[in-house]
Amino acid sequence: MLADRPPFEDLYREYLGRIYAYVRAQVGGSADAEDITAQVFMNAYQAYARFETRNTTPAAWLFRIARNATLDHFRAQGRRDRLRRTIERQPVSEEDPAHQAEERIQYRALMTQVAQLPERQREAISLRHSGLRFDEVGGLLGCSEDAAKMLYHRALKALREVAQKEGV
Amino acid sequence: MSEPDEELELQALQRQLDDAFETTRPRTGFEDELWSRMQSSRPARSRLRDALSGFLQGIREVPAVPAGVVAVLLVVVIGVGTVALSGLGRGGGGASSSTQGANLSAPDAGQLYAGNFGRVPTPVLNNGSKSSTSAQPTTVPVQLTWTGKFDLAISTAPVFRYKEPSTNEADQFASALGAVLRTRPDGFLGSYQASDYTLKVRGTVQSPPSSPAYFIFSSLSMPPVEAAGATPQDLADIFLAQHSLQPQWSYTVVVDSSSDPVKVRYQRQFQAPGYGAAYLVDVNGERYGLEVDLSANRPVLASGLLPVSSDEADYKIVSSDDAIHAALAFSAPAQSAPATPLPTVQLDQAELVYVLVPAGNHSFYEPAYMFSGKLQINGQTYVKRILVPAIDPSQRTP
Repeated sequence: MLADRPPFEDLYREYLGRIYAYVRAQVGGSADAEDITAQVFMNAYQAYARFETRNTTPAAWLFRIARNATLDHFRAQGRRDRLRRTIERQPVSEEDPAHQAEERIQYRALMTQVAQLPERQREAISLRHSGLRFDEVGGLLGCSEDAAKMLYHRALKALREVAQKEGV
Repeated sequence: MSEPDEELELQALQRQLDDAFETTRPRTGFEDELWSRMQSSRPARSRLRDALSGFLQGIREVPAVPAGVVAVLLVVVIGVGTVALSGLGRGGGGASSSTQGANLSAPDAGQLYAGNFGRVPTPVLNNGSKSSTSAQPTTVPVQLTWTGKFDLAISTAPVFRYKEPSTNEADQFASALGAVLRTRPDGFLGSYQASDYTLKVRGTVQSPPSSPAYFIFSSLSMPPVEAAGATPQDLADIFLAQHSLQPQWSYTVVVDSSSDPVKVRYQRQFQAPGYGAAYLVDVNGERYGLEVDLSANRPVLASGLLPVSSDEADYKIVSSDDAIHAALAFSAPAQSAPATPLPTVQLDQAELVYVLVPAGNHSFYEPAYMFSGKLQINGQTYVKRILVPAIDPSQRTP
C-alpha cells in the first residue's frame, strides 16, 4: 500500500456516516440509504487498490462513487416504478417505531425536503453539507467552483421556500 | 422580507443543514454489519493475508498423531541466557575461563552482528527456575547425558517480531467474523457476541508468556457440523472454513480422542531457512497454535493465535555443540555420597523450536533448542525436555 494512502478502514470509519447522510438526503428513505451506502463502500473497497491520492481527495473519490450509486439507484427505481404500475403493490412493512423516532430527532423533515429539490440543487446542498469544499462539489457536478457556489445558494433559497410552504 | 432578514434565515437554514447532515447516521450496528459484509466478500486467503503478511509460510499438513502415549516430565530451562555459550556445561562444572571470555566479548559482537531488531530480549521462565511445574516430578534432580545426533547446518535463524494488537485490531478481527463488541473485560481486548457463540480476544500475556489469542465459546444454538463419515479433523476443518479461521501458517495436526471433547490441535510451525519447519512451543515445550474442541460433531471451543502482522530478521545462533553443552549444564550437581543414585536421562532428541518472548509493545518469536529424552520414575515414563535459547548471547539482552 502506498505510504500516502490511509488504510481503507480509516476511510470507512470516517466517511460512513457522511456518505450515509448524503445518500439519505438524495433518496429520502433510510432503507434505501443503507442499501446504497453499503453498495458505495463495497465498490470503494474493491477499487481502493486503484485509488490515487495525487488525483483526488479520498472524500471527493468516495462521494463520486456515492453519487454514481445514487444515480444508479434512481435509474433502477424508474424501472421499478414502471413495473409497479402493472402489478399489485406488495404491502410495505412498517418501520421500527424506535427507528422512526430516531429519524425524527435527526432532522428527518429537513432531509426529506432536501430530497425533494431538483437533482443538481439537491446534490449541491448534500455534497456541501457533507463536508466537501466548493471546488470538490464543482468537480463532482462538472462545473466550476464559482458555479457550484451559485448553484448551492440557489438551492438554499429553494429549500427555504419548501420549508416555509410546509411550515417547518 | 428585507435582505438582512433573508440572509439571517439562510444562515439559520445552513446551520440546520449542518446539524441535519451531522446527525443523520445509519442505525446502530449498521457500521459493523457492513464492515463484516465487506470482509466476508473478500476471499478468506486475502483477508487474512493482510493481517498475517509477515507470517505467511504456506500450509503443510502432516497427519501426526503421536505414536505412543507417555506422561510428560518437563524441565524447561529457558532464560539462563548466559549458559548457552558460556561453557557452563563443558565438563559439567561451573563457569570456566572460556565463559568469561565469551561474556567479555559480547557487547562488541552484539553491536556488530545483531539483527535488524537490535539486541532481542532473552527468553525467561516466569518463575526463574529450571522446572515448569512443581506439581509434577519436574524438580527431581537428574543426570543428563547426550546420546543423540544433532548437527545443525545453519548459523542464523529468523526472529519474528510483532506489534502488540490493539483493541481496534481485535475489533476488526471480531467484525470480520460477524461478532459485535459487548464489553472489554479485564485481561481481554474485547468480548464479542455473534449469533451462536461468544468471542473473546486477548493480547500478549507477559507471564507465563502466552501469544495473542482468540477464544470462541459456542452457545447452545451452535449447530453441529454435518458431514457424513467425517473425521474429527474434517469437522474441525469445516468449522474453521465456515468461519474463515483456517490457519494461514504451516502446521501439523494432532487429534486427541482420549476424552470428550475431542481436541483437534493445529501445531504452528515457523520456517527456518536451511533447517525447515520449527514448531512453536510454550514454556513447557508443548506445541501450540490452534485448537478446536468437538463434543460429538459440535464445536464447543476454538482457541487460536490471533492473526498479527509481523516482520522478521535473521540472527546469529549458537552452534549445536554449544547448545548441547548448555543443555547438559542442567544436570544436577554431582554429590559426593548420594543416598540414592540420581536418575539419568539420556537426551537423544533435539530440534529447533520457536518460543514467545513478550517484550511490551513489540514481542518476539525467537528460536530455541529443545532437547528431550525419556525418563522412568516408579514405572512411569516421562519425557524430559530442556529448552535453551538459540540466539547468540551477544545478540540478546542479558
